[in-house]
Amino acid sequence: MKKRFGLLLAIIVALFMTVVPLNAQHAQAADNSLAEIQKKGTLVMGTSPDYPPYEFQATVNGKSTVVGMDIQIGKKVAKDLGVKLKVKSMSFDSLLVALQTGKIDMIISGMNPTPARRKNVAFTHVYYQGGYSIVVNKTDKAKYKDKDSFKGGTLAAQTGTTQYNAIKKQTSGTKTKGMTSQSDLILALQSHKVDGVAMEKPSAQAYVSNNKSLASIPSHFNMSSSATSSAIAFRKGSTSLVNEVNKTVDQIKKQNLVKKQYLPAAGKYLKTNSVDTSMPHYWKAFATGVEYTLIITVCSVFFGFIIGILLALARMAKGNPLKTALRWLATAYVEFIRGTPMMVQVMFVYFGLGLFVNLPALTSGIIAISLNSGAYVAEYIRGGINSVNIGQTEAARSLGMSNGATMRYVILPQALKNIWPSLGNEFITLIKDSSIVSIIGVTELIYQSNIVRSDTYRGVAPIVVIMVLYFIMTFTASRILNYFERRMQHD
Amino acid sequence: MTKPVIEVESLAKSFGDNHVLKDITEKVEPGQVIVVIGPSGGGKSTFLRCLNLLETPTSGKVAFEGQDLTTLDTKSVNSLREKMGMVFQGFNLFPNMTVLENIKLAPMKVKNVDDASATKTAHELLQRVGLEDHADAFPSSLSGGQAQRVAIARALAMNPEVMLFDEPTSALDPEMVGEVLNVMQELAKDGMTMVVVTHEMGFAKSVADRIWFMADGYIQEDSTPDEFFSNPQTERAKDFLSKILI
Ligand SMILES: Nc1ncnc2c1ncn2[C@@H]1O[C@H](COP(=O)(O)OP(=O)(O)OP(=O)(O)O)[C@@H](O)[C@H]1O
Ligand SMILES: [Mg+2]
Repeated sequence: MKKRFGLLLAIIVALFMTVVPLNAQHAQAADNSLAEIQKKGTLVMGTSPDYPPYEFQATVNGKSTVVGMDIQIGKKVAKDLGVKLKVKSMSFDSLLVALQTGKIDMIISGMNPTPARRKNVAFTHVYYQGGYSIVVNKTDKAKYKDKDSFKGGTLAAQTGTTQYNAIKKQTSGTKTKGMTSQSDLILALQSHKVDGVAMEKPSAQAYVSNNKSLASIPSHFNMSSSATSSAIAFRKGSTSLVNEVNKTVDQIKKQNLVKKQYLPAAGKYLKTNSVDTSMPHYWKAFATGVEYTLIITVCSVFFGFIIGILLALARMAKGNPLKTALRWLATAYVEFIRGTPMMVQVMFVYFGLGLFVNLPALTSGIIAISLNSGAYVAEYIRGGINSVNIGQTEAARSLGMSNGATMRYVILPQALKNIWPSLGNEFITLIKDSSIVSIIGVTELIYQSNIVRSDTYRGVAPIVVIMVLYFIMTFTASRILNYFERRMQHD
Repeated sequence: MTKPVIEVESLAKSFGDNHVLKDITEKVEPGQVIVVIGPSGGGKSTFLRCLNLLETPTSGKVAFEGQDLTTLDTKSVNSLREKMGMVFQGFNLFPNMTVLENIKLAPMKVKNVDDASATKTAHELLQRVGLEDHADAFPSSLSGGQAQRVAIARALAMNPEVMLFDEPTSALDPEMVGEVLNVMQELAKDGMTMVVVTHEMGFAKSVADRIWFMADGYIQEDSTPDEFFSNPQTERAKDFLSKILI
């Protein structure tokens, strides 16, 4: 069961909970959660589509769509509530924050209702009771019986998951290896870096049926039933909504819909998916990735540049107290941005600003990266301005030009020429660093490659493809920049 | 009697504890050519820069055509600077623009002159300083003498009433000094009011209406070239002249 919940995010959630206690109190004071959803008419479901057969991307009628048994459950829940379902994809780590900040209304993502999670969200009844298998290479199948057969070897699982902890606690003489993605684990298995990978039964089933070199054996982990179960999460205090949805969940269980309908339906997508796992077949996914990476980079460079100029000018303002205050503010901003990880900034813009305005992930990503890049560009520009001889300013001022005109027509053009190589580097860095927005579900290149990887069960090929694509982009960019650099060399 | 163009009253300027200008009171009449001479570090550049407020005076008054500059707001200072052209020792041409663009920039951006007439004026000025065939050259391709003549043309493009020169020939190879001094002499002949800091004594003797000898933060002597060179009054001036007129 997926249980990963980065420390960073835990801290951010805690932060939001203290900064915005209103939400929680409001919910407790008057529970109109059910009425609100029905009034809104849509139910936004958050999920992390890298976990077949629970949820994953498949090409349906030529379009990449999130499918899987959890999606079926979401549809049924929405239908029973009389509202429309909207599915929002994001990394598993981001789901809880997204729920608490109102980006989504519920989580269905193979999430198990641990006591720790219960403190922050409200769970429905369990809709699916799973179990664990261990995936091994088919050639080794005879060697292994269950979890106890790996003495002296290595067992692997997704870091922080229930099965990961189970390996640590319930085996002896076996090394534990953790990785973040399921497809990486399978790759490690196939290249014999590990001897077995523990995962949930349905996932194991999906891998084995799609990859002839793999086989699965029972794990025989000793598990409490809560650790192998999945439930739907809502915001804490949404009692009326949870009670209503529980009716649906109970019905699903009573009629055994998951095993009878949802899993077989999901399996069908897995089959059609596995027809062609060659990389050219996925060119559309990669093209979308390149498109978004370029959109993010170009927009962020543009806005980052403007922000950078404004910050640089603010940092050099002097004279009256107002200007001094401006200078301090700009300096503090630059120091703060340079002193915090871009990943946190991206999450802060998406989730934090998301409390006040509902920004789409792409917009949030561009805002965050522009704000970040602006701080760095500001420093380059400040350096560039300082590198222009003071005589240039004096000559311009002695001709009657104002401070602003001097800056605009005389100093900045020369400063920019001096720092052009640094700005070019920043652009190329951004092409690569834009990948960070994949954590909030922007479909840029890294995100798309992860989708392709979990879709095809191929670990290396998509990485090679995006490596080449990134290189083509950065190389082209640096050629173009060089061309302009040469054109500016007339003096 | 006409009004003086520039009037300086009890002007003082300090950089921290360094009292560069102590107490200067002087006048420049229209059409006059003033040559300021004096030992290095005596405050000549600082004085010149106080006239167009590139340096803010510590105390005292600098008036241009009767208006005290030290009390004006930034905007009015900007528009007064248009009327005082300045030429620097290091030329300070804009390296990213052609000669023509250097000259056109301020008229177009400050006075909103249209491109066609700015270009026309620029060509006329280039002809006046003898550089009409260098209009499209970049400053890096010019010799020092040519660059300084372009700088003079650039300042003249704003149609100033006074020209301030801060050692315009000090950075030049000796063989180029003449071409710049000739342009300045022509200017003087055309009636331009000029304040010139220079070590060119020949120019001072032949072109100046008044010599101001500046040392230790004061104008020590204010006299005609004849009086100053043949009969200096102060020990300071005598000492200075004995060192340079060997
Ligand atoms: N911006 C400044 N900050 C601090 N001190 C300065 C500044 N400008 C000039 N000074 C000082 O003021 C004094 C006079 O300098 P100034 O350049 O006016 O002399 P000068 O007569 O023009 O000399 P030179 O013949 O060498 O050009 C020098 O001691 C110089 O160090
Ligand atoms: Mg000087």
